[in-house]
Amino acid sequence: MKKECIAMLLAGGQGSRLYVLTSDVAKPAVPFGGKYRIIDFPLSNCTNSNIDTVGVLTQYKPLELNSYIGSGQPWDLDRLDGGVHILPPYMQEGERGSWYKGTANAIYQNIGFVDMYDPDYVVILSGDHIYKMNYAKMVEAHKEAEAACTISVLEVPWDEASRFGIMAVDKEDNIVEFQEKPKEPKSNLASMGIYVFSWKKLREYLVADEADASSSNDFGKNIIPKMLGAGEKMIAYRFDGYWKDVGTLESLWDANMDMLSRGDLDLLESSWPIYARLPSEPPAFISKTALVEHSVVTQGCEISGTVKNSVLSHGARIEEGAEVSYSVLMPGVTVKRGSVVRYAILGENCQVEAGATVGENPENCDPEKWGVTVLGPGTAIGAGEVVAPNSMLNRDHKEVSR
Amino acid sequence: MKGLHGIIFSYEKHNDLRELTANRTPSSVPFAGRYRIIDFILSSMVNAGITDVGVVMGGSYQSLLDHLGSGKDWDLSRKHGGLRLLPPFASEGTRGGSGGFRGKMEALAGVRSYLEGIRQSHVVLADSDLIINIPLQDVYQAHLASGADITAVCTSNVDSDCDVTFFRLDNEGRVGEVLFPLRDRTGCHRALEIYVLSKQLLLDLVDECMSHDQTSFRGAVLQAKASSLHIHSYVWDGYAAQIRSLKEYYTRSLELLDPAIRREVFPAARPIHTKERNDASTYLDPTGACCNSLVADGCTIEGTVENSILFRGVSVARGAEVKNCILMQDVTVSRDAVLHHVIADKNVEVADARTLMGHENYPMVIAKDSKV
Repeated sequence: MKKECIAMLLAGGQGSRLYVLTSDVAKPAVPFGGKYRIIDFPLSNCTNSNIDTVGVLTQYKPLELNSYIGSGQPWDLDRLDGGVHILPPYMQEGERGSWYKGTANAIYQNIGFVDMYDPDYVVILSGDHIYKMNYAKMVEAHKEAEAACTISVLEVPWDEASRFGIMAVDKEDNIVEFQEKPKEPKSNLASMGIYVFSWKKLREYLVADEADASSSNDFGKNIIPKMLGAGEKMIAYRFDGYWKDVGTLESLWDANMDMLSRGDLDLLESSWPIYARLPSEPPAFISKTALVEHSVVTQGCEISGTVKNSVLSHGARIEEGAEVSYSVLMPGVTVKRGSVVRYAILGENCQVEAGATVGENPENCDPEKWGVTVLGPGTAIGAGEVVAPNSMLNRDHKEVSR
Repeated sequence: MKGLHGIIFSYEKHNDLRELTANRTPSSVPFAGRYRIIDFILSSMVNAGITDVGVVMGGSYQSLLDHLGSGKDWDLSRKHGGLRLLPPFASEGTRGGSGGFRGKMEALAGVRSYLEGIRQSHVVLADSDLIINIPLQDVYQAHLASGADITAVCTSNVDSDCDVTFFRLDNEGRVGEVLFPLRDRTGCHRALEIYVLSKQLLLDLVDECMSHDQTSFRGAVLQAKASSLHIHSYVWDGYAAQIRSLKEYYTRSLELLDPAIRREVFPAARPIHTKERNDASTYLDPTGACCNSLVADGCTIEGTVENSILFRGVSVARGAEVKNCILMQDVTVSRDAVLHHVIADKNVEVADARTLMGHENYPMVIAKDSKV
């Protein structure tokens, strides 16, 4: 049935800069903020923006992501007409068909899916950003301007602009130039990787891009510059809320800490809820011996030790005399008696035995050697063991370099 | 089709939960930070592989309807079977059009056509005021093995201030006598009001009681037929609480702060399911202090919280002190307020610097939506 607007969520990336955290799962399935996975943010934004049809393009290690999304029920995306669809690459007649070669190719390969809904507009999203955003407003701006493409942008500090894809605009916020990580940025409006396209236009460009053997089939590198070059109407849509790309270990840790300080990213604020699929666990228990400060806890946590400035996910067990600070604990982590965990990210089901030390405060460490310590999912740290700051261990207890 | 079908009785009965049941049935009273009382028996059924459950409703069942919805949170939203809500239905020959049933048999007679359509060979009947996490598949297996007509779950713990049924068992565990009320309980077992019997026997009993104008399961079935039917006991000495008075509600709630009891009520293998609410994680501020408490999601704690149970979305402001309290969904405690031994129902707002004191033996209850 015809839909005015559908969303396509690019969730196939490996997330190689998250290293051990994405050794078993795709980046959008990485846990965030105690109760969520990264993909909950774009999915919930869709639901809250009244977009009821979402295609999720998967490719890299999709099993956990697929089962997490399931019928889409937690996000109210289990619909008779529309709803959430997992879209892996598939074979076509005459043994054609291939892996998704790039972001644009992923959409190209699913032209058939989009055409089923015959939408006027398509919202392109990625599965590695933490933000609350009303896409409906952006689509509204796109319609009003009668644009071919609308790109959501964020004002960033000028000295950081060279790290982003920068949109130079005229007085009406029409995009005049796109600069990828420019040395001399012409504006401080950074692309957030969120696009609204008029589907007919995008369809033409996708077909042409596919025919171009020299193209790397990427939105940022190919489609956007080509549309600009052809003089299509492209506008910048300014967003001023919290937005963070959590594609690196540092930014993932930062975003978790941002959530704790409840500034721009206040998840307890209930007008724009973020939904998640969760196991049934009893409320968190905070025992007589516990001290919990400036931290979040969630159902299934059992805390008897000290927890400061940290994000704890469900099923975390912090034993008496253990200390966790400035850390992000993913679901099912146990920290036993007398252990110390500082400035660390602990993947799902890590076990830290008694008296171990993981990570270190920056002030107690050579600044050159300091960094957030990362344990991959399922890593076991033996009693009394010391894991140095800035190191990263995988499930087999092997050091992984970044 | 072999297997068990679940029937939960959730109409109003005599109980003393005061303000907590002013606008809801006992089965939908919030419990343990994020549950309603009915979640425990309902989850026990689901965890035992029961796919079809009927809930006989009556009285102020609106909040229960809202809680259960389609049953999807218990995985009971199914094309065939699943959760069936059975609100009162007046028809000729049956009483109880408003759901003010005089007994289980009358309630069952009111849903007789539903009983006929049950796909399973056996039925488990249960009250909805029970906090329990029991492997019902074991009860069913014991029922089949014993060859009994009815299997009655009971506990050797006879402590109860409320009106409950007692059994005297013979050496083989057969129920000899069914007693109510009972002062001297030595050697007796307390009935937990969970019964397993075949669908056919249940239908026969319902018909027989209807034609004799008998309404009570205890009187007309258990007591009258203790010798003609083989009623066998299944002794469950794991955790079980029948929430029938406010004091029971309060002590049984705070008892959950004991890790050993929590392990019995919430074993990892048999999760208790409930309606999901999508709160964010709970935030504990450096100005606050929280100890020996169960805290559900979506709370903000800036004050002191001790020996308490906080439901989802509770906020305790700076300087406030909450001790030995049960604060239900979305309760707000403002700055410097002091609450001891208080049960605050949903959405209660306590203004700045108020002091509310109940006592261990007589907790203060604040009705839903009150502003103090």
